[in-house]
Amino acid sequence: MKKKYLVQSTSFLRVILLLSLFVILVIGGFTYRHISNLTDSTEVVIKTYKVNVELEQIVSYLRDAESGYRNYITTKDTFYLKPYLNTYKKVNNSFLRLKGLIEVNSEQQENLKVLKILTDSLFSNFSKTNVFVKNDETNTEAFKTLYFKEKIIIDSIRRQSTVMFELENKLLNIRQKENQSDLQFTPLFFYSVLLATLILIIIAYNKISNDLKNIKAKNDQLLIFKESTNQSEIIGNHGNWIWHIDSNKFAYSDNLYRLLGEEPQSFEATFDNFLKFVHPEDVDKFAEDLDKMIDVEELPVTNYRIIQKNGSIKYLKTYAKAFYSVDGQKRLIGNTSDITDEIESILTLEEHNLELERNNKELSAFNYAASHDLQEPLRKIQTFISRLEEKEVDKFSESGHQYLERIKSAAVRMRLLIDDLLQFSRTNKPDKEFVSADLNDLFENAKQDVAEIISEKKAKITSDNLPKATVIEFQIQQLFSNLLSNSLKYSKEETVPIIKINYTKVKANDTPDLLKASKSVYHKITFTDNGIGFDQKYAEKIFELFNRLHNKKEYSGTGVGLSICKKIVDNHKGYIFAKGKINVGSVFTVYLPVN
Amino acid sequence: MHTDYIHIILADDDEDDILFFTDAFDELKINTRVNTFNNGEELMNYLNDDESLMPDVLFLDLNMPKKTGIECLREIKTSDKMSGIAIAIYSTSASEEDIEKTFVLGANIYIKKPNDFKKLKKVLSEVVSINWQYHTNALNKDNFLLRL
Repeated sequence: MKKKYLVQSTSFLRVILLLSLFVILVIGGFTYRHISNLTDSTEVVIKTYKVNVELEQIVSYLRDAESGYRNYITTKDTFYLKPYLNTYKKVNNSFLRLKGLIEVNSEQQENLKVLKILTDSLFSNFSKTNVFVKNDETNTEAFKTLYFKEKIIIDSIRRQSTVMFELENKLLNIRQKENQSDLQFTPLFFYSVLLATLILIIIAYNKISNDLKNIKAKNDQLLIFKESTNQSEIIGNHGNWIWHIDSNKFAYSDNLYRLLGEEPQSFEATFDNFLKFVHPEDVDKFAEDLDKMIDVEELPVTNYRIIQKNGSIKYLKTYAKAFYSVDGQKRLIGNTSDITDEIESILTLEEHNLELERNNKELSAFNYAASHDLQEPLRKIQTFISRLEEKEVDKFSESGHQYLERIKSAAVRMRLLIDDLLQFSRTNKPDKEFVSADLNDLFENAKQDVAEIISEKKAKITSDNLPKATVIEFQIQQLFSNLLSNSLKYSKEETVPIIKINYTKVKANDTPDLLKASKSVYHKITFTDNGIGFDQKYAEKIFELFNRLHNKKEYSGTGVGLSICKKIVDNHKGYIFAKGKINVGSVFTVYLPVN
Repeated sequence: MHTDYIHIILADDDEDDILFFTDAFDELKINTRVNTFNNGEELMNYLNDDESLMPDVLFLDLNMPKKTGIECLREIKTSDKMSGIAIAIYSTSASEEDIEKTFVLGANIYIKKPNDFKKLKKVLSEVVSINWQYHTNALNKDNFLLRL
């Protein structure tokens, strides 16, 4: 919108300039025409005056000649004939000049011819009377007639010259009138044209000053923008640069120099100067990436290291995009940021992760080895006990029997612990394969695992139809059998254990237990029993390793079974919760993600 | 060569286990002759000797010094002369890894050492009375591990 405004403004100014130029040209043209008109009319006036002068001269020459001739007639002195003799030549010259001055006008030309004829007849009359004078016959009738005719001719000449004089003045008047009307119109025209030009110039000035104001405001905004960019570069640890590809010139922002550990604008911004900072191992890749940016015009980020003059190594990240200016010049506009802190924290994090992984592996290897190697001596102890029982039992005293029983039950307990620990450490290994399995089958297998206690306690187990799911098969079977054996183990004496397994598919959003869940749909499987239950305050504790709520004499748990359950559910990215009420029973709820 | 007794060899480095093993056969009253070796190398030296009498059943512990049970198993099953010997793996561990490996190498049965002498006698009497021909034909991963 603003850009459009500027374009409009430029063309507006162009139109005004063209109009002004046109007006000035028109003024020039008109002025020239008027001045040449004025010159013309002056020339006409001068010509008219010249014609008048010539005419008057002719008349006066003739008058001189006549008066001289008259004196000659009375005195017979030839001295008085002098003007008469000169007049003919002078009058002819005047006629030639007049002919040149009035050639355009046909009426005057006719008048001139008449005048010429009159003067010619005057001179011929002079010559005729002269003969009479020389012969001294001035008193003759013929002379008197001729002399009278002379007088008539001179009068005619006078009349004719007056006619010409008047005609000339009439023509002059007509021309002066014409010029006058032209000259009257001229100032008004000049004035209005000048006024129009002035108005145009004022409009242009107004426009220009408005545009200047706008540009100034834009400039102000640009300055503010530039300053805020500078600040954000300093805070954000990044800088920008422009590469004018056609002229191969660079411009770096101040902060880019700071990223390189230099004072702003302290050296010439060139590609080679920048390359001097790039880590020798990264130079080739960096140059290659930038070349690619010119071709492809938009490339993913390139990462590289630089070495500052003080020797410290920084990690930089650069992104650039081609940009074409209004006049089609290609530029690469880039942004470079210092990611040393990020990289360093990632590296430390990775290191910590590796260490944790190592520790975990060591721990589980230790756990496995310990429980595995403990099996062997224990097996021997148990075998020797069985040998003693079989072969030497008769030789024991009463207390010997008792001790043997104690040793035996301690050994059994130790075996239970070792087996459970082994189980637990095997559950640890995460590299097990997930396959699609029918949970009903796994549940049946789990029931088989605890079949002995089920029949011994005459337990009643009912189960909903379970779904298919993607699981680690043996672990889920382990989970089911551990939950079953837990319910069977903590059943009430003299009450038939009833275990109910229920299944529903639930949405995480609708389930308070799953507020922090990562998946949206879960299989919910509950194990409900009518056993001894537990105090709800231990609901989380019972999943901890070696945590037992009862002493060994009452119930034979190792405190590992439910920890294994928790671990298995964790391996499947599921959740397990326990709810208990003393002497009523417990409910274990397992959530496994769908897919 | 002999029909009146069953020739049994046990390779195991554990003195206690050898004691249980021989005691069990003594008590079983089956006509057996039991030879024992303390490590894999001794066992293979014996088997490679042309003079030696080949066993009907070879009980092989896995964890032995000098030559492990796995190495012995591989050598025996790849030798023309010995590949017919019925081999029972006799080990403390019953890890899936060991079971899988020995099954693939061609062992005939896998016994986890019991922790009760009565059970031991039962297992051993079962194993020596197996019809190996029949058992080997029907052998699969599920019945490879002996369960009582």
